[in-house]
Amino acid sequence: MLRVIGWRLAQAPLIIFAIYTITLALAWAAPGNPLENPEGRRPPPEVAAQMRAQYELDSFGSFYLSYLDRASGLRWTRARLSGSTVDGPVFDLGPSLQYTDWSVNEIIAGSLPASIALGLSAIVLACVIGVGAGVVGACKPGSLADFASLGVALIGVSLPAFVTGSVLLLVFGVWLGVAPVAEWGTPRAMVLPALTLSLPFAAYIARLTRFGMIEALGSDYVRTARAKGLSERSVVLRHALRNALLPVVSYLGPATAFALTGSFVVERIFRVPGVGQHFVNAVQNKDLFLIMGVVLVFSTLLIMMNLIVDVLYGFVDPRTRNAST
Amino acid sequence: MRWIAALLLLAALLIGAVATDAPAPPADFTFVNRGDVNTLDPQRMSWLSDMRIGRMLFEPLVVNDPLDPDFAIAPGVADRWSVSEDGLVYTFHLRDDARWSNGAPVTADDFIRSWRRAMLPDLASDYTAMFQLVDGAAAFFSWRVEALETMASASRPWADGDALWRETIERFDAAVGLEAPDDHTLIVRLARPAPYFIDLCASVVFAPIYPPLVERFETPDPATGRIVRREGWTKPDQLVSNGPFRLDRWRFKRDMRFSQNPHYWNRHALNLRTIEVLAIEDPSTAVLAFESGAIDWIPDVTADYRAEMWAEKQRFYADNAETYARLADEGHDPFTIDRLLPEDPRNRVHVVPVLGTYFYNFNCSPRLDDGRENPLADARVRRALAMAIDKRAITEQLRRLGEPVASSVVPPRSLSGYTPPAGLESVSGHPAADATILTQARSLLRAAGYEDPRDLGAIEISFNEDAGHGLIAQLVARNWSDNLGIHVTLEQTELRVFRDHLKNHSYMVGRAGWYADYPDPLTFLDINRTGDGNNDRAYSSERFDGLLDRAATEPDPAERLALLREAERIIVEEDLPLVPLFHYVDIRMFDPHRVTGLTPHPRAQNWMTAVDVLGDGVGAEEPRSVGR
Repeated sequence: MLRVIGWRLAQAPLIIFAIYTITLALAWAAPGNPLENPEGRRPPPEVAAQMRAQYELDSFGSFYLSYLDRASGLRWTRARLSGSTVDGPVFDLGPSLQYTDWSVNEIIAGSLPASIALGLSAIVLACVIGVGAGVVGACKPGSLADFASLGVALIGVSLPAFVTGSVLLLVFGVWLGVAPVAEWGTPRAMVLPALTLSLPFAAYIARLTRFGMIEALGSDYVRTARAKGLSERSVVLRHALRNALLPVVSYLGPATAFALTGSFVVERIFRVPGVGQHFVNAVQNKDLFLIMGVVLVFSTLLIMMNLIVDVLYGFVDPRTRNAST
Repeated sequence: MRWIAALLLLAALLIGAVATDAPAPPADFTFVNRGDVNTLDPQRMSWLSDMRIGRMLFEPLVVNDPLDPDFAIAPGVADRWSVSEDGLVYTFHLRDDARWSNGAPVTADDFIRSWRRAMLPDLASDYTAMFQLVDGAAAFFSWRVEALETMASASRPWADGDALWRETIERFDAAVGLEAPDDHTLIVRLARPAPYFIDLCASVVFAPIYPPLVERFETPDPATGRIVRREGWTKPDQLVSNGPFRLDRWRFKRDMRFSQNPHYWNRHALNLRTIEVLAIEDPSTAVLAFESGAIDWIPDVTADYRAEMWAEKQRFYADNAETYARLADEGHDPFTIDRLLPEDPRNRVHVVPVLGTYFYNFNCSPRLDDGRENPLADARVRRALAMAIDKRAITEQLRRLGEPVASSVVPPRSLSGYTPPAGLESVSGHPAADATILTQARSLLRAAGYEDPRDLGAIEISFNEDAGHGLIAQLVARNWSDNLGIHVTLEQTELRVFRDHLKNHSYMVGRAGWYADYPDPLTFLDINRTGDGNNDRAYSSERFDGLLDRAATEPDPAERLALLREAERIIVEEDLPLVPLFHYVDIRMFDPHRVTGLTPHPRAQNWMTAVDVLGDGVGAEEPRSVGR
């Protein structure tokens, strides 16, 4: 197990380097000028030229190397080793071109907690709803409960977040007045966005669990467990569910990564100060530093997430643990 | 199953981490400011949403009285000022009790150092050109550009960035027309008379920054000599400002919190103790937050259903037609009328005409960027196209916000003393009148050598992604093909790409808009000057440029406006490098029975010094009206 973890950690920098190169090349090639106002008056061309020079936007090569140097922490380490005073963070992701009062580090540090909290609560909610609905459906296939869970799953997958989110906000926020509108920072304020974000995941998990359970409940070892005289509860929860959850666990890795990043719409509707908005806005603004910053931070996060899932898998399924050690 | 419990615990801890930063108690006044400001550095501001916040934090030499019928200039940091006979020298006397938020006095030198920032190519921003009205500023700017270029080349006349910076300051002091004989006197010498200069002085771009703070964050790079800007001084723990409010908290794209500046000279006149500014990007969420009572004011409603909201307001007026007519007769301003009408949820939407115009650019270059000859280079073709657009259909069927149809660039009745030209007649859905106009348009095309309109080739309309622009482009395209038989194609691009196309003149027809920077026709006209950085049309006319030149040196104000009017007439009646479509309106949301002091003036700049929330027991608690 440790060897797997060590191997994966050794790969990580290479993967991130590849992502860095590809993303920067794409972002650089995208048309549009980051240093210009989208509306209204333009600065004189001399001013624009000075700004380009200050941000090293004149040549791809020098930008590529200098940004790699500062974002990877190399510049910081060199300064540290040479004994000069170091100001600024270890991994310096640069200034924002659009929001010039902020550094990319500050922007991400300020919005990452909200994204993580929202993403995780959505995944937890999705697991509770999804596994619950899946188990109920599998225990009594064809029953009303099964159809109800299928219906919810269908709605969860088909309706986009901007519809479910707006409807939830209108009903619970404005009409019933039980949830705050455009607020963030209290558990109460988190319920609606987390629910909105969790629905598609819950739906998928419910279907995965249901199929897994039906298969598991028909298997030999469940028959054996029943024959031993175990209670139905014990059979379902301890024997069948454990196997049925395997596909769910492997789905949770990408799902969690997706829940952490893919919440642009939910963030917008519920005014969650998360990172998702920066992905979209940074690209629209051609804010090169912010694009690179969020991509680098999130690819690191994603790699970690996949590692955790692999480790978890070992716990859930001893077979994979044995195979890999 | 223990690992599941452990995971859940971990998740709960992480979730708890954000749940703990509970929101502050409600402020006296809460409003929405779109996404977030781009910067709080006054010299670098150019967005209306930035300036809205800038005016809370920084006070310029003079301010506007938002409740004056003419939006008149009122004392700010300067309590009095005088202008020389020739209009070239302004002398400002700074009040003794003007203070920074740390208690230090605001001095004339603070203004000079702040304005110097805006005159440097390496620090400056969109409004640099405005500062070049000051005598010597343009030459200083060019000198510095050249010096920085020399610094980058092999021959380096200066040992390092500091040496260059020292010479830069010497040059600035010697050559630029700014002078501070003492701490409380600022003398400004202009390069040419500009009657609107005092209005520029009321713009927050001309407000001072606190030099001892800011200059720590802006140091010359030893190698290139360029001033390197580091962010940080606009954060609450650093920022020193001289305006009515100070910044207590700023969470990016989340919220800003302001409280009264304890050292502000006119503090007793403020009617709000705290202000909360929320960043809400989604237009619909902003409206819902207003409905739920979390917000007192939305300066700019952009929700898709705003036209329906305005239609509701019209019905509300119709329900109260008699009272409305009486109040209007008594000469009240629109917000006062709304306050005197009964309370009603429909009465919270307000449409305010503003100093801005939506228009279509014509590319006037002789050749298009693909090398084809440009049919639009001929003014007769542009005129014919302009005449064939049904502007009334745009405002009545698409926009539906009561925008006035535009036939001039400067909105009529918006600037005192100036009547814009009548403009070109265009079709408006009246068959008889339209037939005459279209006959003229066709004969213009024939005169330009296009016997068959299809000879023009395809005319392409470019616009950026946004439902509104797309609909207008489709309507114009249909007008041109139905009315003139011209083949029209549409090109939709991303905003930043679109802007690049305009700047590089790689388009044929493109949507555009312009808001006044200062209350003078020139702000709408000089973007058509030959070679101007904002001349997206590549328009060039000696006659037009000559009129602007003559206006620049004309001492008599009335004669000057007459020259500008003639220049505008060339634009909107003869040469048509652009065709005005409608004048903008702003849609605001606030309860007129609760919030007072917001301005209904087309200048549309609000000063929080005037705002009061009625019934909260804070401030004067007196309803305010324009002119009273």
